[in-house]
Amino acid sequence: MAQHPQHQQWLKLTEKQMKGRPTSELEWLTPEGIRIKPLYTAEDLEGLESVNTLPGLAPYLRGPMATMYTGRPWTIRQYAGFSTARESNDFYKKALAAGQKGLSVAFDLATHRGYDSDHPRVYGDIGKAGVAIDSVEDMKILFEGIPLNEMSVSMTMNGAVIPILAGYIVAAEEQGVDLAQLSGTIQNDILKEYLTRNTYIYPPGPSMRIVSDIMAYCSQHMPKYNTISISGYHMMEAGANSVLQTAFTMADGVEYVRAALKSGLDIDAFAPRLSFFFGIGMNFFMDIAMLRAARFLWHRLMQQFSPKDPRSSMLRTHCQTSGWSLTEQDPYNNIIRTTLEAMTAVLGGTQSLHTNSFDEAIGLPTDFSARIARNTQIIIQEESEVCHVIDPLGGSYYLESLTASIVNEAQKIIDEVEEMGGMAKAIESGMPKLRIEESATRKQARVDQGLDVIVGVNKYRLADEKIDFEIREVPASVRDEQIARIATIKASRDNAAVEKALTELTVAATGNGNLLAAALTAIRARATIGEVSTAMEQVFGRYVASSRCVAGAYSSEYREENTVIAAIRERANRFLELQGRRPRLLVTKMGQDGHDRGFKVVASAFADLGFDVDISPMFQTPEEVAKMAIENDVHVVGVSSLVAGHKTLIPALIEELKRAGGGEIIVVAGGIIPPGDYEALFQAGVQAVFGPGTPIPDSAARTLSLLEAKYLS
Amino acid sequence: MLKTPQEYVDGVLAGDRLLLARTITLIESALPAHQELARNIVEMLLPHTGKANRIGITGVPGAGKSTFIESFGSMLTEQGHRVAVLAVDPSSSRSGGSILGDKTRMARLAVDRQAFIRPSPSGGSLGGVARRTRESMLVCEAAGFDVIIIETVGVGQSETTVASMVDFFLVLMIAGGGDELQGIKKGVLEMADAIVINKADGDNRLRAELARKEYSNALHMLMPASANWTPPVLTCSALEESGIEEIWQRIGEHHRIMSECGEMAEKRATQALDWLSFLLDDGLRRWFQTTAEVVAHLPRLQEEVAAGKTTPTAAAATLLATLHGRDG
Ligand code: B12
Ligand SMILES: Nc1nc2c(ncn2[C@@H]2O[C@H](COP(=O)(O)OP(=O)(O)OP(=O)(O)O)[C@@H](O)[C@H]2O)c(=O)[nH]1
Ligand SMILES: [Mg+2]
Repeated sequence: MAQHPQHQQWLKLTEKQMKGRPTSELEWLTPEGIRIKPLYTAEDLEGLESVNTLPGLAPYLRGPMATMYTGRPWTIRQYAGFSTARESNDFYKKALAAGQKGLSVAFDLATHRGYDSDHPRVYGDIGKAGVAIDSVEDMKILFEGIPLNEMSVSMTMNGAVIPILAGYIVAAEEQGVDLAQLSGTIQNDILKEYLTRNTYIYPPGPSMRIVSDIMAYCSQHMPKYNTISISGYHMMEAGANSVLQTAFTMADGVEYVRAALKSGLDIDAFAPRLSFFFGIGMNFFMDIAMLRAARFLWHRLMQQFSPKDPRSSMLRTHCQTSGWSLTEQDPYNNIIRTTLEAMTAVLGGTQSLHTNSFDEAIGLPTDFSARIARNTQIIIQEESEVCHVIDPLGGSYYLESLTASIVNEAQKIIDEVEEMGGMAKAIESGMPKLRIEESATRKQARVDQGLDVIVGVNKYRLADEKIDFEIREVPASVRDEQIARIATIKASRDNAAVEKALTELTVAATGNGNLLAAALTAIRARATIGEVSTAMEQVFGRYVASSRCVAGAYSSEYREENTVIAAIRERANRFLELQGRRPRLLVTKMGQDGHDRGFKVVASAFADLGFDVDISPMFQTPEEVAKMAIENDVHVVGVSSLVAGHKTLIPALIEELKRAGGGEIIVVAGGIIPPGDYEALFQAGVQAVFGPGTPIPDSAARTLSLLEAKYLS
Repeated sequence: MLKTPQEYVDGVLAGDRLLLARTITLIESALPAHQELARNIVEMLLPHTGKANRIGITGVPGAGKSTFIESFGSMLTEQGHRVAVLAVDPSSSRSGGSILGDKTRMARLAVDRQAFIRPSPSGGSLGGVARRTRESMLVCEAAGFDVIIIETVGVGQSETTVASMVDFFLVLMIAGGGDELQGIKKGVLEMADAIVINKADGDNRLRAELARKEYSNALHMLMPASANWTPPVLTCSALEESGIEEIWQRIGEHHRIMSECGEMAEKRATQALDWLSFLLDDGLRRWFQTTAEVVAHLPRLQEEVAAGKTTPTAAAATLLATLHGRDG
């Protein structure tokens, strides 16, 4: 079929309504580089390989299962965890009673990075951004009253994946559960940690071995367990557009398959247990298409490994709505955003889903906000009647065309990665991380100009923000509780047995024994998570990321006519003229907070605006930051803090600066800082706080004002 | 907020990190008053300089210079040395601002109390970089650092500048796809006291070894700059910290040989003379550009030359003549 018979007629009408403006103005170029037309017709479907397939059958574009939600709806699986195991356990049980179907554990950052709660580097992190787990005793409490042979449990763990998975297995053993019955997912996706999530411990080489060891162990003993969740979600939250997310996730997947094959596994022994995890943003049709495209691509990519089991090429995925799209301003709007994104995931055919709480940009969910988030899904499932038809949008001219475009665009990037020698090599080169950061920086520039609208932030902003709901706060006492529990365990266990098991684990790490198997012995003997992690670190070392920063992307996204940037540059130049150097800012992150999106975006944009910007390594202590600030002789230290370490770490930094003689250095802060905490920070000496949604030109202008007041008056 | 020269001097000599850092800021400042103060400080510190081992490191972007300095410097501080690192970063051109990310690649050394790392935006003229880096190096020596490492990106002219102020000039390379000698300037090879092929690890080891051979051959074709020293070509992995020890040994060997035969003293003397002539040129140019006559006439003459109304030779002669007239 060629052009629609009435196409010319439609075009005439369109031109008339455009009143002389070119019809090309109706086209939209997405951040993915896909040109969207105002109208799609049957013509757009011609020749598309991906149209008119069936669910449950290759290439699985319309869904991995034959019946999809008509048989059973997706699993409502809310990601949660905070404070102690006891408190999180209470929270889980309440959620399950209220309609949640699967568990998903969020660990705190000390645990993620393989530190016990009594380690000095993590004193601001315990229980803050997830649940603190130091030993199998904590793990047993976490699942108390939750039968692990029935409940599917997903665990987001990548760095300390060996001791944590071992802890879960031993907790199950001690519940009397047969390992073969365990169902659920361990994230175990280390590649994206180096890219975006930043809770790696060891260098890439040994880390990839850990991934394969887990696949090997589980394929033998835990046939119902998903041994990896290949995650694009974190890339999206770090700033990747939908094509980048799809491409890098697929490329990660291929890399894992190759690693497992290399370790001697048969493709059909492990590939059916690979699962995926996608992030869903506000571009409704784009992300429906993305999920369909990803299934198509995965099937196609897997053919190179000649699997015999059809399940080996079948992409099953969990999804999470976007936290980045949620705002601190006018936060009830977030319920609407999350509902839209949840619909996207459902229409895209996800197997399970997490929906965010409306207080996302303020703190961890409370009982109240978590209830609304959960009910968002329940209402879609049980009231909206969307579950009766499989892939209901299949055949839509627009959606099918968009699906094909994502397939094509993503394939180009996958090819590029393949040319570099696969994803591990590409990551080593820094390419994927820079692409994602560039995408994030451009997004920030569009939002700051109001080109991409965010209601309540850059349009229809409220004059007065009032928080009329509770905010969850995790008390510092959690740390004391955890430390006491570690002491009790160390006093009551057979220390010789622990020593022996840990030594054997180190030996396994040196040679090629299965690390999970070796760790199980140590965990059974009550070795702590930190001890098990350290036993391997002795051989593998601790990885320090080297980071690069994009330059020029922020300002190049600005429209010609925008004068905001020029005005700030002008002020920076004046400062240079009068002070002999540019305003110099050290942007830093302390504690185990791995959120580096804002950190990088701010650094890159400030440099574009005429600042000299020093960036520190991640995971610094206040003392280390003070040393750097002094040596680099900066005017300002800017702390990016997103996981609730601000109240301990920033005052400590100010003390350290004073002690080192740098008391006059200005300290400003940004990130997730609840409005109620501002005053305490000002009292401690912080001179400005820039919360989520602050346009960068605003924070730059205010930082300049502080500098001008101090140096130029 | 400025202190007296003596206060900075006392601070630097006492190893006070803060005052050392502030002194470098003065050296780097574009304000004449700061530069004047810095000159005084450097002058007073001069008797306390000259004892350090000065090492320059260059290489293309991404060759692994910072990573190398991380491993190399950490090894040295473990052996009891005190290490100062000066890193010159390219500025972004349009805004003039820059991103100084060196310490993310020197995470261990950055927190090491035996080390001092100062990244500097290169902003402004090359002459500026030369002056500032050299003076900063002297100040670090006076503060008691016995190994000074200067990192510079091997693009443009900055490597020549750095080579002219150090005792040992190390060129860091990576094995490429085929023709190894492409992309490296012959001039850089001539200045090198050693060439090190980095990233000799994993499946890259073999390629690094091949590159090493190619460079050795290429070096044989060149006249060695010194009769007493043939620049070695080595391999290392900054990431896995292999081959680092040997590089330090070679640097020590170079130091011993060159000191014994007197070439080291000669080199430093030549460098001092070059430096003097550089300062004269630089000073003259600056003085010239700020004299009343030049300020008054240069823009007009520039326009005329551009418009073809007068020749460059004639314009230069006119300007220089006004100055002769003034003095005579
Ligand atoms: C993106 C994101 C992620 C990404 C991070 C990707 C990356 N590489 O950065 C991923 C998915 C990996 C992630 C993971 C986790 N996250 Co998260 N994440 C977010 C999210 C959705 C957005 C943050 C963001 O990047 N915003 C965009 C940037 C540009 O904004 P920004 O950093 O706030 O910076 C702006 C201003 O604050 C200001 N600013 C900030 N810093 C500075 C500094 C200076 C000098 C200046 C001038 C200005 C300034 O300017 C910027 C521009 O406006 C927030 C929720 C939210 N909506 O904010 C949760 C959030 C921060 N995450 C949270 C948690 C708990 C986690 C995890 C720890 C969960 C877990 N247990 O596993 C993990 C672990 C991550 C880790 N290693 O630390 C919590 C923290 C809870 C708390 N504070 O109590 C939040 C608040 C969500 C929530 N409510 O639960 N996360
Ligand atoms: N495999 C391997 N990678 C290395 C080695 N040394 C450095 N790298 C990597 O190469 C990249 C660049 O290293 P840097 O140390 O930043 O290089 P540089 O020469 O200082 O770069 P610029 O300062 O940008 O000019 C980083 O990703 C390093 O991790 C090495 O010995 N082996
Ligand atoms: Mg470098």
